[in-house]
Amino acid sequence: MFLQLVANGLVTGSIYAIAAVGVSLVYGILRLVNFAYGDFMAFGALIAYGVNGPLHQSMIVAAIAGMAATAALSLFLDAVLWQPLRARRAGFMSLFLASIGLALVLRQSLLLAAGSAPRSYAVNPYRVFVLGSVRLSEAQVIAIATAAGTIVLVGLFLTLTTWGRVLRAMADDRALAAVSGISVGNATRMAWLVSGLLAGLAGVLAALVEYSFDPNFGFQLLLPVFAAVVLGGIGSAYGALLGGLALGLAQEVSTWSGFAGGVNPVYKPVVAFAVLALALLVRPQGFLGHAAVR
Amino acid sequence: MSVLASGGFWAFVGVVAGIYTILTLGLQVQFGFAGLLNFGQVGFMALGAYTMAILVVKEGWSMWLAAPLGVAAAAVGGALLGLPTLRLRADYFAIVTIAFSEIIRYVATNETSLTGGSQGTIALGSVGTASQYNGAWTTFQTHVQHKLGFSSADATMLVIVWTVALVLLALTWVALRTPWGRVLRAVRDDEDAAASLGKNVFAYKLQALALGAALAGVAGLFYAWEFSFFSPDDFEPLLTFFAWMILLLGGLGRVWAVPVGAGVFGFIFAGTRFLNFPPFTWVASDERAYIRLIIIGLIILVLVVLRPQGLLGNRREMVLE
Amino acid sequence: MTSILELEDVVRTYGAVRAVDGTTFSVEQHSVTGLIGPNGAGKSTLFATIAGSLKPTSGRIVFAGKRIDRKPAHRVARAGVVRTYQGARVLTRMSVLENLLLGTKGHPGERLTGTVFRPRASRDFERRTRVRAADLLSLVGLEAHAHAYAGTLSGGQRKLLDLARVLMLEPSLVLLDEPMAGVAPALRGELLQHILAMRRDRGITFLIVEHDLDFVMQAADRVVVMNEGRVLAVGTPADVRANEDVVDAYLGAAR
Repeated sequence: MFLQLVANGLVTGSIYAIAAVGVSLVYGILRLVNFAYGDFMAFGALIAYGVNGPLHQSMIVAAIAGMAATAALSLFLDAVLWQPLRARRAGFMSLFLASIGLALVLRQSLLLAAGSAPRSYAVNPYRVFVLGSVRLSEAQVIAIATAAGTIVLVGLFLTLTTWGRVLRAMADDRALAAVSGISVGNATRMAWLVSGLLAGLAGVLAALVEYSFDPNFGFQLLLPVFAAVVLGGIGSAYGALLGGLALGLAQEVSTWSGFAGGVNPVYKPVVAFAVLALALLVRPQGFLGHAAVR
Repeated sequence: MSVLASGGFWAFVGVVAGIYTILTLGLQVQFGFAGLLNFGQVGFMALGAYTMAILVVKEGWSMWLAAPLGVAAAAVGGALLGLPTLRLRADYFAIVTIAFSEIIRYVATNETSLTGGSQGTIALGSVGTASQYNGAWTTFQTHVQHKLGFSSADATMLVIVWTVALVLLALTWVALRTPWGRVLRAVRDDEDAAASLGKNVFAYKLQALALGAALAGVAGLFYAWEFSFFSPDDFEPLLTFFAWMILLLGGLGRVWAVPVGAGVFGFIFAGTRFLNFPPFTWVASDERAYIRLIIIGLIILVLVVLRPQGLLGNRREMVLE
Repeated sequence: MTSILELEDVVRTYGAVRAVDGTTFSVEQHSVTGLIGPNGAGKSTLFATIAGSLKPTSGRIVFAGKRIDRKPAHRVARAGVVRTYQGARVLTRMSVLENLLLGTKGHPGERLTGTVFRPRASRDFERRTRVRAADLLSLVGLEAHAHAYAGTLSGGQRKLLDLARVLMLEPSLVLLDEPMAGVAPALRGELLQHILAMRRDRGITFLIVEHDLDFVMQAADRVVVMNEGRVLAVGTPADVRANEDVVDAYLGAAR
């Protein structure tokens, strides 16, 4: 039973991890908490549905379509909304409020276009893989395999490529990007691109694992993802990965009966918030963030 | 189109605007005057409404005792939330406040024996008892209606809500002109400078949070009385975002801007029900709800980008940089 | 010759960096003491630590016989230690007068309980505060700007407002952080006169961080020189100027 929970936790956690890196990259460059990120994920998931369902393409094609579409949306919004705000030297609060307005517009547009009826991808929900005492559905296996692969790729990207190093460095100090010869504008666009790709992928995987989803599910994911970013240390992409995994595990494992009966599974989201609150009180800078100079 | 001319409809819109005025006034105190980025305002509204309903229906209290306790519960909720979180950075604080209001909604949805669960207050007591808090209110309302000589209950509620709203607006306005209010504005302007002047910044922020929460509690009470029954999903984050839109629309840092923003919001929200011309006729009427919300989101965006001081705000004193 | 402020072995670290590395010195009451040193010597960090914005990693800070190193900034200010910031941190979105009115201790109207339960006491205190504020405004020559937003003042005017606000608080010790930075030469003399008058008429002690060495030599009775987080030398301006270690430190920093 415990191992099953750990496995479930790794599935959820790796999805959180991917999404959290996307949030963290944009925050690192622009100091923008993208409240619309959950709806980016829902957007990616729905586009993938459109390709997988009505157009009868495989999940792989659908996922790529979802990722590409979300990345395009991400870049489009930077050009149309965030760039003009930066030109007006908008401060952190303006950006936060704007992202809330954006989230509202996005989610309602998705509802308008796609309706609120739940949808599912064309995967077999009954096919199960058994590994010792652990049972995983096909969706979970796909999700964890893809997520693991993506996490490794993202880790390599951040560590080994120039772009990755620039994005990480800019989270510390924007002036550093100029030193490496990459313009701030290009770095910004790269951040939105990667962030969009990751949002799309996380959305597709989350929808896959949940089996049935509607345009509102993005917001439900948003808060745990934010919690993961904060847990890992805001501004640290590696921290976001760690935070996501830790949070997913904590959520699932907390329901284990060995912990004095365990948390009632309906309260799993509350566990995410509780972990977040505890982390903020005990170690506000998260696992890998910088100590706040207060 | 005949509904458009119906007084009852517009009275309803006016009541909703009044409730939002009180809710947003709380936000004005917290953000407009103390600089606190509270995105969990709807959670305090729920605390007020549920406390009152539970005390009346389950514990048999008089509604007139339960109501102030509902407001107190909201204020205490604000203080409890603030104690561990006010020292956090603004963005962390904002996220935690949303988490807080969602936790309240979760608990209300799942603790069925306490709150009636997802069915809402209809399921609070046995059949027939759930209407107790509203029964007491309806009695009061009818009493006032006779006194005022009105023919409609809607109009009476309108007067009651707005009387309370105006009183609260006036009290807030007065409070902010006191030396206490001056310190609050100093904290908003530059909290380190305020601290170096000997002001206990944390205490002032906590007071602003609790007072704003209390106002949300009052809004919750009126919500309960106007709509008779409510459920946890009535207190979703969307309402907080509406309040923020009203705040931005009216203008930050001006108490009397709040009812203006709420009035415009009520008009947009209600008026868009009757957009019987293209492009709105292209979509089914239930889908128009989405368009309404898109419009609201767009208004927030436009305000933030083009006119952050809102309709009546003071650009010089505006908190958004 | 009593000390009003004593620092014992104060340390403040940021991770591996020891910004303040065991600083010990004392400030005599009613003196004007200068605190100088090359960039990165730890002066600003030390100021923030004394004022309570930062907590020392270790060490003691004693003011008028009481320890203040564990106190938060607002309590340190109430105890009688007021600091100014580089560039005069006035409250830009409030009026000049309101900036001054905020400089009070123990105003019953500033507490919610006071406003509600002691309205008469609040009103009286407020009236007296306004009188004091008006006097100080005239003292620094800013009466004409009383109702203007402090943000509209020029740099030099902000410094005057800052000084006036300091006076409102009736401090015993004032920490001045680079008071002459960015100030036109014409105004410097006036500022210096205000500082000396405050010391003479109200007995206020000053601890001043300054890069303008001429000013320090002119104004200070005693100078403390810091380098790399520690005290390098203490003495009269003349002593310090002649001290070889001090010269080396400055030249070394320029190297």
